[in-house]
Amino acid sequence: MNKHIKYIVLSFILISSTFISCNKLVENPDSVIVSSQFYQTSSDAVAAVNAVYNTLNSDPLGDFPMYGRQLNLLTDNASDNQNFSPSNTNPDVRALSTVTYVSINGRILKNWQQHYFGINRANIAIDNIAAIPATAFPNPAQQTQLINEAKFIRALLYFNLVRLFGAVPLILHNPTSVDVSSLQIPRTPVDSVYGQIISDLKDATGLPATYTGANIGRASGGAAHTLLAKVYVTRKQWALAQTELQSIFSGGYGYALFANFKDVFQKATKNGIEHIFSVQYATNGGEANTTQYLSQSFNSFNTGTYPIDIPSDSSISALFDTTDTRKAVTFYTSQFNALNGQTIIYHNPYTPYFNKFVDYTLSPLNNQTISGINFPVLRYAEVLLLNAEVLNEINGAPTAEAYSAINQVRARAHVSDLTPGLGQSDFRDSVFLERRKEFIQEGQRWFDLVRQGGQVLVDALKVFPAKQAATLKDSLYPIPLTEIQLDPLLTQNPGW
Amino acid sequence: MNQHQRYNIYLLTSLTAFISFRKRSGKKNQILPVLLLGILFTGIPFLLSAQTKEVVLTGRITDSKNNDPLAGVVVHIKGTTHQVLTDEKGDFKFITGQQVPLVYELSYVGFKSKEVSITNYDFTQISLDNNNKGLSEVVVVGYGTQRRSDVTGSIASVPKGLLSIPATSFDNLLQGGVSGVSVTQSSAQPGATSTIRIRGGNSITFGNDPLYVIDGFISYNNNAFSNSGAATGSKVSALATINPSDIESIEILKDASATAIYGSRGANGVVIVTTRRGKKGVDEINYSGYYGSQSASKKLSLLNGSQWASLVNDINLSDGVAKTYSDSAINSFGKGSDWQSAGLRTAPVQNHELSVSGGDEKSRYLISGNYYNQDGVVLNTNFIRYSGRLNYERNVSDNLKIGTNIYVSKSVQNGLAGAAITSISPASAWATLLQTVPIVPIKNPDGSYNTVNPYITTPTNPIQDITNTTNETNITRTLGNLYLEYKILNGLTLKVTGGVDLFNTKQNYYAPINTSGGYASGGFASVGTVAATSWLNENTLTYDHSIQEKHFFTILAGYTTQSQNDESAVASAQKFPNDLTSYNNLAYGATAVLPSSNSHSSTLNSFLGRISYSYLHKYNITISERADGASVLGSNNKWGYFPSVGVSWNASQEDFFKPISETVSNLKIRASAGQTGNSNVPPYSSLAALTPTNYYFNNTLVTGIAPVQLANPDLKWETTTQYDAGLDVSFFKSRISLIFDAYYKKTTDLLLNVPFPLYTGYASVLENVGSVENKGIEISLNADVIRSKDFIWHANIVFAKNENKILSLGKGTQNFTPTAPTGQQSPVIVQVGLPLGTFWGYSTNGLLTADDIAKGVPLLTGVPQKAGDRRYVALNGHTSVTSSDKHNLGSSQPKFTYGFSNTISYKGFDLSFLLQGSYGNKLFNQFEQIAEKPTLALNAAGTLANRWTVANPNGLNPRATNSPVPQVIDRYVEDASYLRLKNLTLGYNLPKEWLSKIHVKLFRVYVGAQNLFTITHYTGYDPEANYFDGDNTKQGIDFGVYPAVRTYLVGVNLAL
Repeated sequence: MNKHIKYIVLSFILISSTFISCNKLVENPDSVIVSSQFYQTSSDAVAAVNAVYNTLNSDPLGDFPMYGRQLNLLTDNASDNQNFSPSNTNPDVRALSTVTYVSINGRILKNWQQHYFGINRANIAIDNIAAIPATAFPNPAQQTQLINEAKFIRALLYFNLVRLFGAVPLILHNPTSVDVSSLQIPRTPVDSVYGQIISDLKDATGLPATYTGANIGRASGGAAHTLLAKVYVTRKQWALAQTELQSIFSGGYGYALFANFKDVFQKATKNGIEHIFSVQYATNGGEANTTQYLSQSFNSFNTGTYPIDIPSDSSISALFDTTDTRKAVTFYTSQFNALNGQTIIYHNPYTPYFNKFVDYTLSPLNNQTISGINFPVLRYAEVLLLNAEVLNEINGAPTAEAYSAINQVRARAHVSDLTPGLGQSDFRDSVFLERRKEFIQEGQRWFDLVRQGGQVLVDALKVFPAKQAATLKDSLYPIPLTEIQLDPLLTQNPGW
Repeated sequence: MNQHQRYNIYLLTSLTAFISFRKRSGKKNQILPVLLLGILFTGIPFLLSAQTKEVVLTGRITDSKNNDPLAGVVVHIKGTTHQVLTDEKGDFKFITGQQVPLVYELSYVGFKSKEVSITNYDFTQISLDNNNKGLSEVVVVGYGTQRRSDVTGSIASVPKGLLSIPATSFDNLLQGGVSGVSVTQSSAQPGATSTIRIRGGNSITFGNDPLYVIDGFISYNNNAFSNSGAATGSKVSALATINPSDIESIEILKDASATAIYGSRGANGVVIVTTRRGKKGVDEINYSGYYGSQSASKKLSLLNGSQWASLVNDINLSDGVAKTYSDSAINSFGKGSDWQSAGLRTAPVQNHELSVSGGDEKSRYLISGNYYNQDGVVLNTNFIRYSGRLNYERNVSDNLKIGTNIYVSKSVQNGLAGAAITSISPASAWATLLQTVPIVPIKNPDGSYNTVNPYITTPTNPIQDITNTTNETNITRTLGNLYLEYKILNGLTLKVTGGVDLFNTKQNYYAPINTSGGYASGGFASVGTVAATSWLNENTLTYDHSIQEKHFFTILAGYTTQSQNDESAVASAQKFPNDLTSYNNLAYGATAVLPSSNSHSSTLNSFLGRISYSYLHKYNITISERADGASVLGSNNKWGYFPSVGVSWNASQEDFFKPISETVSNLKIRASAGQTGNSNVPPYSSLAALTPTNYYFNNTLVTGIAPVQLANPDLKWETTTQYDAGLDVSFFKSRISLIFDAYYKKTTDLLLNVPFPLYTGYASVLENVGSVENKGIEISLNADVIRSKDFIWHANIVFAKNENKILSLGKGTQNFTPTAPTGQQSPVIVQVGLPLGTFWGYSTNGLLTADDIAKGVPLLTGVPQKAGDRRYVALNGHTSVTSSDKHNLGSSQPKFTYGFSNTISYKGFDLSFLLQGSYGNKLFNQFEQIAEKPTLALNAAGTLANRWTVANPNGLNPRATNSPVPQVIDRYVEDASYLRLKNLTLGYNLPKEWLSKIHVKLFRVYVGAQNLFTITHYTGYDPEANYFDGDNTKQGIDFGVYPAVRTYLVGVNLAL
């Protein structure tokens, strides 16, 4: 026995030394892709751009998505259209609805974060795809197209930011250091931010006019022209806007209004003839971080609880003519409960409730978080209304074409033509009123009010008892306080 | 193969069969495992073996002091391999070929070793001298043992008496017996996780749990391994997979001198668990079992039917709409449904443990089997564990010893599902039940569950949800190691250990369509697995040497490597045609949910060394150093170095001490300093990792890939520098002993997610910034209050005070607010200068009166305030109340904690009890905060019955409005100081004279109670609640998940 002992001991040591030699400290991640391994092939490039689109309908931390909730809080709850419901106990949401928000408001911060998160992904895609050798792409045009798609989204997000916050840091590359002080920069002047937006969008106008098959839903050249027109209108550069609008009409994009307003918000008609650019949703099997939250405008048959948001008051639904088909698409006052065959009628001080994003194909109806209704960012009705506005501004009075544009939108809604012979100012007001009725809950109203001047915003808000706190400083959102704390070079907006 | 080995194999196979026995057959067959255990051990008597004979040497060994016989003394014939042990009468017998003259070498723990020359074959009477207790005792330290006299570090043992307290998991045994160890359970659900802190928490973000060393195998307690994500609700404790009744001793290493040998993993203290093993010479069969009955120790006060209806009317009033209920309707509701009581039950708990142990000159073994079954007091919750152990050790030759510890267990938890009734409610089926409106009937007249609840959308019933939802976690754990100890030279020993921890979790979840979890999806099934494997190889050389019995050296050097891998997967499906296949066949689901899988690997390589030197066992010094290389850290900082030094002086050994040695029997002064680390970050934290995301084009899912974090190649260890000064003193022949420690710990280079300007595209980057300090004192007092022949009373008192303070959070950051539960305002803040777990909110001062409003007292902005609303307090000089008026409302860190354990025996009777408490700690009663929010759809706290109305202007709670914003206010920051009788046991040992006739060594019966009473002002279920157990920044939040439990039990211990 004793002579075997040394063999036993030796074999133990041998086994141990195998362990020792195997265990290297270098990490070779098995479940994670690392940056240095990626951005090599055309499919890597496609995935990098898909990730940019993803920032529009999701949140990195599982919060509510930008288009689908967060942006709506700043552009609709804080406008004269919308208020919080008693069931919504989030103090940040309540503060936005009552225009009592402060610079530490979590929802303002969330919007800021989500926009820059998307911008960063676009920056990464643009820089890294450009660095891939052209030979990696089977179709040489694909490389440019993917870069331009990312540029379109970057422009869209900067356009939102510059309108919400004014001058914002213009970031065009992924950070290369983890040293905060090396990353701090001051706010970039508004004109420079717009300069980048316009340059990105001009590049993006080279995108395909339309897509087919598995590419439907990507940013198109038409979307770039439309957004560019909107940028010029916002900047009151009417002639430039007109050029862009003309290229939409004459560019063979084939846009038109749906015959039925309801089809703008139907799953079956998504990415249809009127949709120029939409944030895509699909009734899914529970993919992470994808939640259409505006669909929860309907969330209960219990008349004692309320949806997340409600109209400011009943005057909002009263804006619509009785014949206006948009009213029934925009609001509901009853729901049919298929389980017991009863129709529940909602009648309380907070009705009617919003309806546009409720997915009626879902049964049971409480499962609205997986709604497949797209969020329309740009649609042809807006092209027409922008055209009406631009023509009215350029010519000092509405032209026949301007009338025709607005009346097309009205006719589709079964509303009679606008009173002929209006002056420039009245026509302008009519266009804004039309926009208000057309785009409830679509992330437009607050921008439209601010575009007309801070006082217009304040006056519009002060109509409502809940929004008496509005002042001129509210025409720009405060830079989130935590951002200023982390970057002393950032300055705050006036009045905050 | 000899008889012995054959039986060992037989036992091992039987044990495996026993472990694979599954609960499938249902509760009726609970007796079956016990039967199996019985069958398993029928072969035992054959284990004793015989030797060949030559001559006979006999003798008896006694205590020199009182001539009591000493059993288990090792009698070794010098220069041979022959040794025997004395029996209970102190007698020993050699049948050997050795001839006189020869020399016996006698050794016995606690006694001085002795050599006796033998010149004839007569019966020999030998007496042994008792060593001064406490000096010769050997204590377990990292990578070895040490004489207690030579120890320089702070090492405490969990009192033996506490180890026998019935418990699901051994972490429950750490509380109250050792100073400076705090244990808080996340909930009273069977198998629930708990938070264990030794001398406070060092880290803010990562890893504050101690390191566990179970029979030499090093393991972090990673509760993530018991959670694949398929099941919902609170996690299952990985520690609960270990059978607590296998444990022989638990040592807690607290200061740097003791823990630095564990280097980068020693910062949070080390818990060394040693399981029972066989003793030479005695084969023993032990059975212990108990059966208990548990019930909820407290119920929350909620509104009854009439009270709720009247609340609804008041909300209507504030909304300006008509009343919902007429007065007569309100009266007719009466008490309504008591959902809380309907969900509770009296639940049994039982434990059966059978072990066989023994040994001869060469081998020691222990084989044990355990069956534990605890039903929860909430319907359809329970925890079952089957486990088996084999500890075996054999001296192959004089200089080679090999051994193995193998433990296998299977644990099954049926947990409460985690559905939330509203977006701001806790994700727990129990909270849903508590919030269900009391005027909704529980059952229909025909006895079926009523699913018509007009106040919520889904037609379900919370009791039916709880009983019909499957939410099961199965854990199979194999913890095994093999070791070899080889004496290369006299005093020089090589030890090689190879071990593995296989942790396999399978989770099953099924919510049928008639439950809230499955209603929307048409039945939802999910299965998930985690397979976690940890390999450990340790190679140490120990050199023991003494020079002239004056200089004593122990030198340890070693190399160890440990690698860890975990792989997980979750698959789910929904829309099932029926519930027949439950979670067992996802293919029946019409809609698949995107599956997920994951894998992580990490490696830790270490060099370690320690030198202990003692001069005359009076002056001692220990120096240790460990170098750790971790794969999880940044490429520039893989290696870290953790030194320590400790000194101690046994003052009582000095000559000048002799005059008072009658009074002060022992006095030792200790001091130590050292550095330990923490690197408990997930693998790949330092890399520029990309994450998959989803988008849709043309309704088709596409995958996007983008970065989620920036690379930080400088990522390194958190370092804790600790200083400790201690005093061990005992009086009156060690009748009273006192251990006092004072310590200071400073943790630097904290692994923190440093906030980044969001315009960079990143919210934070993991960096090493900031520091935290912990300082405190610990007192442990042991006393043999009464020590007579028949009457023994042993008492143990522990006291600890720890102060935690955040010193820095990095440049430019003064505070951050941890993410609140969904939809809530965070009640906690992490702020420089304050302790972790600080609550941050408004002070309030009663309710607003019309007078106040007229006077223009500061009002809360953003919310219209009227008379009857809460009066928030503005800080000095503020004219309105905004979030800048939030301030420090206290912290969840106690001012001090204490424990008082006693064992009293009188003749055959024994009585033990453990009182344990905490003072000055606050809890944020978040469930109360939610329950006090009046709504039209949910039930509310009973306190809302006393609310402001025009008729009751002095109400405690504000006027009812529809769903006001729940603010973080002082009202919900409650004093959670408590004193609890954790355990009370009364036992009786049947007289030895009776038992010896039937060859039984011990037969003890006992009755016990746990959590018999708790004295506290806290209004929630349990002042020890801690909902976010793993998250150090959110300690002390009670989200009302599971009722606290009181248990009565009867048990028996039997030894053959």
